[in-house]
Amino acid sequence: MFKKTMTAALLSLTLGLPAAYAAEMGAKDETIKLTINEWTGQHISAHIAGETLKKAGYKVEYVTAGYDSQFTAIADGELHGTMEVWSSNAPDLWKKMSEAGKVVDIGDTGLKAREGIVYPIHVKEICPGLPAWEALKECAGKFATAETLPQGRLIDYPADWGTPGADRMKGLKLPFKAVPAGSEGALISEMKASIAKKSPLLIVFWQPHWALSKYKTEWVDLPKAEDACFSDPKWGVNPDDVNDCDFAPARVFKVVWSGFEKKWPAAHVILKNVSIPTEDQQNMMAEIDQDGGKLEKVIETWMASNEAKWKPWIEASK
Amino acid sequence: MASDITNQSGLDVKFPESVWGWLLIILLALICGVFASSVPWLVKYPQNWFVPLADWINIFTDWFEAIAKPVTRFIGNLLELPMQGLREVLQWVPWPVTVLAVALLALHASGWGLVVICVLASLYIALSGYWEQAMNTMALVGVAVPLSLLLGLGLGIYASRTRSGQRIMPPILDLMQTIPTFAYLIPMLVLFGFGPVVGLIASAIYACPPMVRNVSLGLQSVPEEIREAARMSGSSSYQQLFWVEIPAAMGQIKVGINQTIMAALSMVIIASVIGGFNDIGWEVLSTMRKARFGDSLLAGVVIVFIAIIMDRISAAYANRDYLSSGSDAPSKHHFLIAAGALIVLCAVLKFFDIGTAIEEADWAKSIADWLNLKLDEFVGAYGDILTSIKNFFYFFYLLPLRTGLSQSILPFTWGFDFTGPMRISYAVMCVLGAIGVGMRWGWQKGLGVAILAYLLYFGTTGAPWSVVIATLTYLGWQVGGRKTGLFVLGALGFILLTGMWERAMLSVYLCGAAAIMSFLFGASVGVWAASNDTVSAIVRPICDTFQTIPLFVFLIPTLMFFQLGEFTALLAIIAYAFVPAIRYTENGLREVSPQLLEVAVEQGCTPSQIFWQVKLPLAMPSMMVGLNQTIMYAFAMLVIAALVGTTGLGQQIYQALTAANTGLGVVSGLSMALLAMTADRIMQAWAANRYAGLDG
Repeated sequence: MFKKTMTAALLSLTLGLPAAYAAEMGAKDETIKLTINEWTGQHISAHIAGETLKKAGYKVEYVTAGYDSQFTAIADGELHGTMEVWSSNAPDLWKKMSEAGKVVDIGDTGLKAREGIVYPIHVKEICPGLPAWEALKECAGKFATAETLPQGRLIDYPADWGTPGADRMKGLKLPFKAVPAGSEGALISEMKASIAKKSPLLIVFWQPHWALSKYKTEWVDLPKAEDACFSDPKWGVNPDDVNDCDFAPARVFKVVWSGFEKKWPAAHVILKNVSIPTEDQQNMMAEIDQDGGKLEKVIETWMASNEAKWKPWIEASK
Repeated sequence: MASDITNQSGLDVKFPESVWGWLLIILLALICGVFASSVPWLVKYPQNWFVPLADWINIFTDWFEAIAKPVTRFIGNLLELPMQGLREVLQWVPWPVTVLAVALLALHASGWGLVVICVLASLYIALSGYWEQAMNTMALVGVAVPLSLLLGLGLGIYASRTRSGQRIMPPILDLMQTIPTFAYLIPMLVLFGFGPVVGLIASAIYACPPMVRNVSLGLQSVPEEIREAARMSGSSSYQQLFWVEIPAAMGQIKVGINQTIMAALSMVIIASVIGGFNDIGWEVLSTMRKARFGDSLLAGVVIVFIAIIMDRISAAYANRDYLSSGSDAPSKHHFLIAAGALIVLCAVLKFFDIGTAIEEADWAKSIADWLNLKLDEFVGAYGDILTSIKNFFYFFYLLPLRTGLSQSILPFTWGFDFTGPMRISYAVMCVLGAIGVGMRWGWQKGLGVAILAYLLYFGTTGAPWSVVIATLTYLGWQVGGRKTGLFVLGALGFILLTGMWERAMLSVYLCGAAAIMSFLFGASVGVWAASNDTVSAIVRPICDTFQTIPLFVFLIPTLMFFQLGEFTALLAIIAYAFVPAIRYTENGLREVSPQLLEVAVEQGCTPSQIFWQVKLPLAMPSMMVGLNQTIMYAFAMLVIAALVGTTGLGQQIYQALTAANTGLGVVSGLSMALLAMTADRIMQAWAANRYAGLDG
């Protein structure tokens, strides 16, 4: 054991790194694999975390992995960490693996997440009472399409993400039919088409998301969420039903393999400390998705000009 | 299925007992109509009668996974090795060398014409900035194809040489091709570990049936004289198989190789849903998630070009006569020299570090941006027209098919109410129509009219389960004999008992609506292409493209044109399913024997008489195969169509996938496969009847 530590110390000396880390570095010659999921914001979070680990002397690889299926791999230690798990849309596999003790929640990613009902700004002309939710009672007919007549149409999350839109409409007794989107691409296509056509649109959406920085949109003002709203029918404007309020604030957190701390103690501390400012992420997202910037370049620039933000994460691991 | 029709009645033969059968079904339908409220379970299958099969499967898989995991993980790791190796080689070799190697292969397979096609296609891949992803895809396909071929060869030999193989292989092959991969993705991930290996195995499962079918067909059609000659010269059964029969069946086996390659490639996109591999499918998927149509089209074209290269080269090898050396191609000697030169070139390029792949191509990017912009403009300019088109189809086609006229005629759809007197006159008209048709063209057709009118009134989702099952089972029995009837009953019974009925009927409705339109459209284009060589030449590459491009690509523009919903899903399914209708119609019409046509002309038939009374009936069996394929393709697309918000079995499979509910996924996948197989069995039996009729 002593010998191993000594070799590590010597190695890190030759690499010009402070020897102080060495004892806690762990298996630093084995690559840490972070997952790359399906959305740009997550790519940014993963790369910021990964690049910081590299600065601390670790080998990092980014592996593309489905948001749901990644948990089978993290549970087995084939992949080692994922940087954005949304509590509002946490895969059942995550719950299963976390109950089995195979993956660990290591704290918030730092993003101020919000979910709610969104409309492109031109919709205000179609339904002037917005953003107050009460206006939707009168306007419902204007949002109607062939499939939903005579009710208005609300685009809900894909069915496998849950049905928050439908729950809200029922809770608030709004004459809207929630149509599940099927996929994220479908949600964005709906938004693009509505903006191009200046047609009415009401859609369940979340932030940070590049679409909200690219397109001018507003949130519908719903009654503020409290725990009682989701459990006690008597709470709120509708005395007979739950869900008569806005979305509960979502938590975005980091998850690693349960063997991570033992294998890479310092890296574990660093990842625990990683916290990504919402504005930074949203700006980078726009740079990548809107201006066509390359992910690696954008991250490189951020790392160069934000040492004050990521240095302390490494310091904390000493 | 052709074997068990012989002693059953064809549809055209009058058999009194079948009249009684149909009358019983009509009676059942009437009972359902009258007692709908007092005996509701006749119409809607009660929930507490479901068999919790999904739960049982979950218990079983949990147990099985724990036992089998060490073995399957080992297999997974074993398969990963060659794939990673191939991946590294393909990434390491400078792209100009790879392009030249493809050109050389094309020259060896066919000639200079193919070289031009292959070089242009691979140059696009290299210069569009997707080289790295394309090579990763090639590594996946490069291991999946040999794996499917070996598996297919083994199973094919088994299927052709043993009695048990002949019995059990056909349904297994059907299941391999019709259960959507998404349905069993979760247990595969657990068993084989995360990453491209799962995609590899999924591709191999999906791609091996064509090989099995062709191998066993080839082996079965080896002439008996050849076998006898082998036996007389004293060869062992092993020698006979590998030295005599397989070479003799090589022509058919090569067709299988070509089809297997194409099937493996079409699974690439599905494999990328799992991730773990920066392949071209992942690129298409992630641009689709951002709804960037232009980018996803450019990436999708890469897959089309890979498919074209692999298809043309393997087809050229398949068509080449095995004994004679390539006709105008240079000799073997020259190829060895050229290959040596390529290796030298590779070393030189590597040494000077030339030929690393372009990561991002500006020209491709600007095309993508332009396409994105044009799409936005188009939607902005023609949005209202597009919406009216959608509303028209929705109100007058989809809605009546789904909920039936009884529910779909409303003031805000058709502009008036379906009042009581109107309902009665509809019923009277239908009865009179059925009797009229029955007296003029025979009772079968009259019954057909009555059943169609009944279904149109209640819709696919509104019709009582008992009537649907009775009708289809009886239909299966009538056209295909007892075996087909029992299969239909078993398949539909499974769906009913496992609680999938309502979802399944939604899928049937959407698939049916799409299959009808695909077939009408495809058959008309096929008729046109059969009579006009220019049209035929234009249609062929379009068909190829639609068959190989990942259809995710077209989801975005269709979504932007027509918004979420069933009409968009309908178009997406049609885009995939119309191709076989074109191909088989054109083929069938072109293969009508010229002598027969001459006879018809001599007898003074007008062109329209020749078409309707000679050509079309003769081409009908081939067109029926086309319709059958159209239905199969439509079912295959259902899962992808769920991405634009449909509500049938496809959506259920996605939900099971996210919820990691293996049992639910498997049961929904099986239900979908059984629906597809039911349609397939009935159609094939019917087509076989027609063939028999043509011979007689």
